[in-house]
Amino acid sequence: MKIIFTTKGNTWDSHMDPRFGRAEMFLVYDDSNDTLQEVLNSETESMEHGAGLQTSKKVLELNADVIITGNGAGQKALEILKSVDAKMYVGAGDMSVKEAYDAFKSNKLQLQF
Amino acid sequence: MREVVVISGKGGTGKTSFSAAFSYLEGKNAVVCDCDVDAANMHLLLDASFDNQKDFKSGELAIINPDMCTNCGECFEVCRFGAISKEPNFHIVDDISCEGCSYCFRVCPFDAISMKTQKAGDIYTSDIKNGAKMVHAKLGFAAENSGKLVAKVKSEAKILALQEDKGYVITDGSPGIGCPVISSLSGANLVVLVTEATVSGLHDLKRVYELTQTFNLNVVCIINKYDLNHVVTTKIEDFLIKEKVEVVAKIGYDENFTKAMSLAKTIVEFDIDCELSQSIKQIWEKIKKRLQD
Repeated sequence: MKIIFTTKGNTWDSHMDPRFGRAEMFLVYDDSNDTLQEVLNSETESMEHGAGLQTSKKVLELNADVIITGNGAGQKALEILKSVDAKMYVGAGDMSVKEAYDAFKSNKLQLQF
Repeated sequence: MREVVVISGKGGTGKTSFSAAFSYLEGKNAVVCDCDVDAANMHLLLDASFDNQKDFKSGELAIINPDMCTNCGECFEVCRFGAISKEPNFHIVDDISCEGCSYCFRVCPFDAISMKTQKAGDIYTSDIKNGAKMVHAKLGFAAENSGKLVAKVKSEAKILALQEDKGYVITDGSPGIGCPVISSLSGANLVVLVTEATVSGLHDLKRVYELTQTFNLNVVCIINKYDLNHVVTTKIEDFLIKEKVEVVAKIGYDENFTKAMSLAKTIVEFDIDCELSQSIKQIWEKIKKRLQD
């Protein structure tokens, strides 16, 4: 299973970024081979408009099964994300990446879709 | 550090008056952040010093190098904004008409056109009259507010609040439900919706509430000027009950707001003992309590 976290750093101890569209970066965790990959999102943060759509595109390209974030995606991004078979979990904005992963594993995060 | 974002959907409901009052009450323990950059005015109420200026870059402008231009006119043909005109030996871009779409840059057969990032305004970290810090921005002519600018202002405010270990970031959002508003909501711990007893006040409250719910945000509501129209106030209350939104206060129309404003003062500074100021103190306490939950 591939999980995308929206984060502010590249380790398990980094803070989650509660934002989806303008998230600083993603960490992609693949539990089949226990790897953590960093994907920068800085060019999206500096867009005037349309950050959510651009980030959704990137998420689709990464082909994840689960997305974990804080506040969730906005309406336009949701329309795109719903077209694929991924699940988005919200409410992890105040956690570290590790805490967010544990919360997800123990079903403590809310499902946005 | 907890962040409160004050928004309203409709303009003129009292967002800035309330945010400025909260900031004045909380003093040095809060960083204030004015994200209503199209019509920034909070600096007037809080007497911002306009220190620590940084350029805000946004958007691009096409520039034609006259030495490389062969006057073929392809750029002129494709420009939808009438920004390109012909001189005897080369073409030229009008800075004001150019929207930075890059069409001419892509079609030029001689690579004579380059795109240059524009300065759209200034971002300031100011000292304000109660000893606290405020992050705000000023746009250049014909520049518009954007999600990017709001994200920048907010991130400066948050970095400052974390560095100096402040308790709160108080963000004054912009009206509407567009990109700048969405950007101002990101990462908020609590959203304060300010509405007023008018038909458009209710209509825009509903729209902006819906937006906050796509992001699963906690919200409370202040009904300002509730005595302007009791029928509408009842409708607002019915809506909020249905959506289970806490009303932290109902405030009557009060000219003290305007009197304070004309003296460039927040209401709590103008007369701390008046009924209005006392209500605002209570609202702020309620908000802080909600933030601890």
